[in-house]
Amino acid sequence: MNKATERRRLITLHGLGCAVRGTYHKAQFESPGTKHIGVLILNSLSPSRAAAGDSAVYWADAFAKSGYPAFRLDMPGFGDSDGDPPPELLKFINTGGYGPIASTLMRELSEQFDLSGVVVVGLCAGAVSALYTAAASKDCRGLVLMDPYFHLPLPPRSWLWQKLIGRISRTALGRVVSNAYDRFTDLRLYLRRNPMPENTNFPLIKCWKTVAPAGLPILLLKAPTTKPRGEEFDYVRYLLEQAGSDSRVVVKVVEGAGHTFSNRTGRGGVRELTEGWLNLYFPLPEYETYSNSFCRGAGVLPTPLRPGPTASRA
Amino acid sequence: MHKQTHDDCTLLECAGYFTVSGAVLYTVLHEVPDPVARVLLVGPFASERHFSYHPWVRWARYLAARGIEVLRYDYRGVGESTGGFEDMGFDHWSEDVGVLADWLSRRSQGVPLLLHGLEIGAILAARSFERGLGDALLLWSPPVHANQALRSSLMRWAGLEQLFESAENRRSAADYIRQLEQGLSIEVAGYEWSSSLWRTSFDFQLPANLQDDGVAYETFKRPVKVLKLGREAAPLVKPYVGYDEVKDLSWLYASNFEWVAAALQIPKEDRHEQGN
Repeated sequence: MNKATERRRLITLHGLGCAVRGTYHKAQFESPGTKHIGVLILNSLSPSRAAAGDSAVYWADAFAKSGYPAFRLDMPGFGDSDGDPPPELLKFINTGGYGPIASTLMRELSEQFDLSGVVVVGLCAGAVSALYTAAASKDCRGLVLMDPYFHLPLPPRSWLWQKLIGRISRTALGRVVSNAYDRFTDLRLYLRRNPMPENTNFPLIKCWKTVAPAGLPILLLKAPTTKPRGEEFDYVRYLLEQAGSDSRVVVKVVEGAGHTFSNRTGRGGVRELTEGWLNLYFPLPEYETYSNSFCRGAGVLPTPLRPGPTASRA
Repeated sequence: MHKQTHDDCTLLECAGYFTVSGAVLYTVLHEVPDPVARVLLVGPFASERHFSYHPWVRWARYLAARGIEVLRYDYRGVGESTGGFEDMGFDHWSEDVGVLADWLSRRSQGVPLLLHGLEIGAILAARSFERGLGDALLLWSPPVHANQALRSSLMRWAGLEQLFESAENRRSAADYIRQLEQGLSIEVAGYEWSSSLWRTSFDFQLPANLQDDGVAYETFKRPVKVLKLGREAAPLVKPYVGYDEVKDLSWLYASNFEWVAAALQIPKEDRHEQGN
């Protein structure tokens, strides 16, 4: 049995005091003596570092082929790494529990692989962890956030309340009352001059306000799916406003992708956009032309993208 | 973070790549010094891997902590193994079981080998056992044929899980099946199912004499246990609720370990958790 294939190597990190296992995808064009930017894909809520539909494997292979060494790690308690996940996993993630953990792992990766810095990639809860990590780490050079969320879960409504509201809202009078309530809520938020919903994840927003205005390159990818309950507020618009004019935030919508971005269209879209973005902000000499073409679409919201049929697994 | 120990040594979990024709398999060997038995875990298939990973790894660790060396792996074209899923079929996956079982049994002579499969993995393990591999066989929720499992995955995909997909990608299960029957490929949870995979799945059956413990023992004279897992074993089997949480399945592990120990005639004094 081997620890490596031609393009991949299995790695174990011990900096946290337990074995964290992962896969290193070797960059295709590594010039000796030159430090490279690495790409780290986090797996916060996914049970294994391959992610849904093995999409993370596909992306890591692709980024490595483009010249960026890529890493996929099983966070402690996940996949093949030691330990168990925290009992209240979502709460742990939402309060930034993985920030210092990922930060330590990034330091270890940077030293072991002689990286000049790390771009952190995360999906959904992984994106939340990525943002906390960026705020906590000196090694983070950029962020790719896929469908991040900035709210905390709402407490479940009681059975009786749901039943009552369900009945009332089906009547004509109920619809009028419901509309009036929505308008009242909007007015209340406007008058409070605080548009943020009560269940906003404020510590996470604070992280955004730390890293985005400071000019950290951020690629925010959205899937065109319906908004979850508790996220009626337009966080993306708010975050772009908060980022300021010096920020380097790019928002793109990947048309045809589902929330996991694991379907062929989603995978291909993420690959194409991220490669373009990497070449723009962390250029390799042979990609200058591509960088310029990506730049023309940067910062536009929403920018639908339909990739070509290139999203098959390596 | 807890570490599992065996005789005061840290149990080694050696991940590696195993070369087979045209691909490399990702394997994890839960290495045990002087093992009392060995187990090849033939795991969940394609999209099920994502949901079942936690309890499957924990089962491997549970066995290793009790002196049983375990090898688990990813199918060709799935997870950490290489190859395109759409190019793979049951012949490839059967070949993988044979090669790995052979490798595992050659690590040292005289240590009994158990084949253990889950769902489609159970069919793969059973067919290898029928060909003479392994000293005992444990099957968790084996379908009668592979199409039963594929259909069940497709129904789930076309139902609840598509809520997370974009509207243009949503189709009914009947539409998907029609496409497969017309010779087209479909995409299920990020995996491309070829029409050939669908067609051959009907003939990829659990051997008739391995559908019942008693009949199996009479036929093969080697211990066989067939266990249908219920909802309480989720997320090891559908409906995969709470797949991102730690669910205590020690009741399942304990009872199955007892059977494994008895089937492989592991002495009673060696059956307890070691080193803790």
